[in-house]
Amino acid sequence: MKKNSLRSSSGNNIDFWAFILYVFLLTIGFLNIYSVTSDVNQSTFHLSQIASRQLIWICGAGLIILTIIFANVVIIDYFSYYFYGLIIILNIAVLFLGHEVAGAKSWFGFGGFGIQPSEFAKVATAMALAKFLGTYGIKFRGWKNISIALAIFLFPMIIILIQNDTGSALVYLSFFLVVYREGMPGYFLIAAIWLGILGIISIIFQSYNISLGYLHGLFLGLGSILVYFSRKNRQIFLLVLIISIGSSLFSGVVGWAYGKLFKNYQKDRIEIVLGLKEDKRGMGYNLEQSKIAIGAGGLSGRGFTKGTQTKMGFVPEQHTDFIFCTIGEEWGFLGVFVFFSAFVSLMIRLIYLAERQSDSYGRVLGYSACCILFFHFFINIGMTIGLIPVIGIPLPFVSFGGSSLWGFTLLLFTFLRYDQIRKN
Amino acid sequence: MQDLYKNRYSVFIIAIIIVFSIFIVKIGSLQLGDNSYEEKAVNNALNKITLYPARSVIFDRNGKIIVKNYAIYDLYIFPKDFDQINTPFMCSVLEIDTAKFNTLFTDAILRSKKRQKNNAFNKSALFYSNLTIKQYTVIRENLFRLKGLFIEPRSDRSYEIVGGAHALGYLGEASESLLKTDAYYQPGDLVGITGIEKYYELWMRGVKGIKTVWQDRTYKERGLVKDDSFNFPAQSGPNVISTLDIELQKFAELLLSGKRGSVVAIEPNSGEVLAFVNKPDFNPNDLIGQNRGKSFRSMLIDPKKPLYNRAVKGVYPPGSTIKTVLALIGLQEGVIEPSSTYGCSGGYRMGSIVVGCHPHGGPLDVVGSIRISCNSYYCNLFRNIIDNPKYNDVKIGYAQLEKHWRSFGLGSPTGIDLLGESGGNIPTVGQLNRRHGDRWRSSMIVSLGIGQGEILLTPLQLANIAGILANRGYYISPHLVKNIEGVKDADWIRKYRTKHYTTIDKVHFETVVQGMSEVFKPGGTAWGTGITDIEICGKTGTAQNTHGKDHSLFIAFAPKDNPKIAIAVIIENGGFGATYAAPIANLLIERYLNPGKPSSKTAMETRMLTTVLEH
Ligand SMILES: [Zn+2]
Repeated sequence: MKKNSLRSSSGNNIDFWAFILYVFLLTIGFLNIYSVTSDVNQSTFHLSQIASRQLIWICGAGLIILTIIFANVVIIDYFSYYFYGLIIILNIAVLFLGHEVAGAKSWFGFGGFGIQPSEFAKVATAMALAKFLGTYGIKFRGWKNISIALAIFLFPMIIILIQNDTGSALVYLSFFLVVYREGMPGYFLIAAIWLGILGIISIIFQSYNISLGYLHGLFLGLGSILVYFSRKNRQIFLLVLIISIGSSLFSGVVGWAYGKLFKNYQKDRIEIVLGLKEDKRGMGYNLEQSKIAIGAGGLSGRGFTKGTQTKMGFVPEQHTDFIFCTIGEEWGFLGVFVFFSAFVSLMIRLIYLAERQSDSYGRVLGYSACCILFFHFFINIGMTIGLIPVIGIPLPFVSFGGSSLWGFTLLLFTFLRYDQIRKN
Repeated sequence: MQDLYKNRYSVFIIAIIIVFSIFIVKIGSLQLGDNSYEEKAVNNALNKITLYPARSVIFDRNGKIIVKNYAIYDLYIFPKDFDQINTPFMCSVLEIDTAKFNTLFTDAILRSKKRQKNNAFNKSALFYSNLTIKQYTVIRENLFRLKGLFIEPRSDRSYEIVGGAHALGYLGEASESLLKTDAYYQPGDLVGITGIEKYYELWMRGVKGIKTVWQDRTYKERGLVKDDSFNFPAQSGPNVISTLDIELQKFAELLLSGKRGSVVAIEPNSGEVLAFVNKPDFNPNDLIGQNRGKSFRSMLIDPKKPLYNRAVKGVYPPGSTIKTVLALIGLQEGVIEPSSTYGCSGGYRMGSIVVGCHPHGGPLDVVGSIRISCNSYYCNLFRNIIDNPKYNDVKIGYAQLEKHWRSFGLGSPTGIDLLGESGGNIPTVGQLNRRHGDRWRSSMIVSLGIGQGEILLTPLQLANIAGILANRGYYISPHLVKNIEGVKDADWIRKYRTKHYTTIDKVHFETVVQGMSEVFKPGGTAWGTGITDIEICGKTGTAQNTHGKDHSLFIAFAPKDNPKIAIAVIIENGGFGATYAAPIANLLIERYLNPGKPSSKTAMETRMLTTVLEH
């Protein structure tokens, strides 16, 4: 791979394709922020305040990339735990010293700018997890190792949940995918998917006021029959017993938690997405406007800066979490296809790069980058088009915002830098 | 180091591809499978504001402006955006209570919702129309803090000259039924309710324009949409040149003040209505602006019926004025010749029937019978016309008479450009059968010969008869609009150029006209009311009225040769035709033919101006 990419002292290059895709996504992001914040009758080039700020963030990202490229990689590896510790402290500190934005107490303010330490916690967690699993002799085996690995990413997740930034916290679930690659048994994932389905069924029962007793009856009844037939085989017998009792218990807990712990607006979001409720004024209004924006794009879009749904504010958060609406409205299906292709290409490229690492550290870092991007992509686009509840998380490289852009840049280029100096 | 889980990478690839595929399918169905979204998006971001055109200015036949427009201001609202904190302020400015405010607000919400195709009602709607100058000033000064409100101009009528109210008509707010049937109109729009304002509404209203502005979610206007297909200027209604001579009109209104009746004056060879007066009438200035509704309701219940257009809706027995037509029919049917005479001994007697006549000398010919208005002559003539041996059947004879009458535009509307015109009544054979039994004879209906009984005409039809006599045999449907600028072709233009010929040959007219010219001579029924230097041809009439004193009628045209004006005057309960109707008609003829000159009959003029008959 001797392309015209960034050189460094070690002789290899930063991966050309990943770099190009990164620049491409950043450009798409900037153009759409420029468009959505421009004036409706504007005919000449004029940077809005928001677009100017994004340009500053992009320049900052460039500085971060240069710093990483000229840093000694040993330092990256060596400092992983320190960096993790520092970021955890900052995230705890923000609980006391930070200020609230949109209900989440996760911001440090500096003059007119704010910084969100949770955006950097992802990269720190990825590095710490990579460091732990990359330690010679450590495998994702045994209660002790598994517990430590899980603790590394569940701990920051809990802190961020306390910051009331549910969206950012959920992203940490993507580390389950990373540890799956590192040897977590497959039934963990199957169990997770089963619990997800079970949770949704319980919520549906709860919101229609159907007694969860039916579910308990079904699981316990079916379980009893299966237990009876499998009484000769002790292993299957135990498995069936655990699954049926576990399912019953889980649905009970979810049903109770949904009824008692969730706030009404959260229930609304979930129920609208599940199709249990139609509300075109409140939450549903935003979703409807978001769909109108994307639908209005048609095949080839309404044209650059011509998206009225987004720039007139009918779509909420149009330059941050809902920036994808602008892509859909102004560039149409063709634009969406190109954008998705670029994003998917970057993720697949990261898998390819991760797989060519000779050690666990690089691989875990690569998969972490890939899985975090995947999770953001999945949740952000999914909520925009109404497939999953509205959870406020940014679209990597595209949404307006310095912290998330810098966080993702740091994550991506730490890995690309590690990949660059890999032992061939 | 052995990597036991190397193959798991494919799970990630598959997951990415599955998510990619689901998203692409979902977005494809939004963008390619449903065309309604773009329309919804456009509907969201654009607010179309109606630009109201100025209504046609109405001129009189000599180019004087009668009706103009002035700007009025309507208050519009974005219901969702209005801050209820401002309710007390708005109530005090508009001088309404909170309950009324809430009603208006609810109405505005409904209008707003009608304008929005999808969910949110973020469209503006009319809230309060027709602000007073004071209200307008106060609201405009405070507009910066009254979120969700804005003011748009519109135009209302302004009457430069008060006159011709029943001809011009008035405006009112579009009715519910009109709003349902014609999408052009929006609640609060002013439309012609009567008069030419109503008849020519489609021309006079002009064409509304549209101003389309970008509007964001917070209803903030974000500038004009710079696309010509979204913006159309309003087009004013074209100038309307009415046929009225406003000076003559105003003089006629003055002469009729204090009386109940009508005057219709027509230019005979064109059918153009020169003056069109009803009394009592109304001041059109009462039917504009904020008091429109209140004044209108009080006019509706006013026992004087100021809104009643008696010139086209009121029907009266024509009395002796019909003798002119009967003489023509007799001549046409060959029943009489100009020199034919009938005797009169103080009236017409036929068994128990007695029709009185005033004393006059010797047997009269046609000319004399008109001059004197001999009842006996016309009772005889009437019977001879329908008992004509030529037909040998009274019903065939009567049908022939009826046909002649109808050719004068009697018994059906003349076709004036006003809605609701009555056709009066010319009894048909069937009608007479029902009234008198199947075997009736001419003696039983002889009163029709002197214009009494079932024959009923509108003042407009009487004026039209005068016009036919002036034209010696034809008429053009009377009309109130001469020309609408820029309109070259329309049904009404063709209609008002068509001559309708009567069934009477032209030669017969001179005899009758001669008789009419002699009514002002000594012994004539209108002796003393004539104008010295104008050769007027007229015929008096006195219509019996079962409810009170007889109505005074007069039809006339002048000059005798090449007539310029034909006129009918009816003064209810005015007694003899010569008492009020003839003097008023003659004063109007004089004023029209000698414009700007004082009347030669000042005493008569003063008497007419000062008489009050209304009770
Ligand atoms: Zn007589």
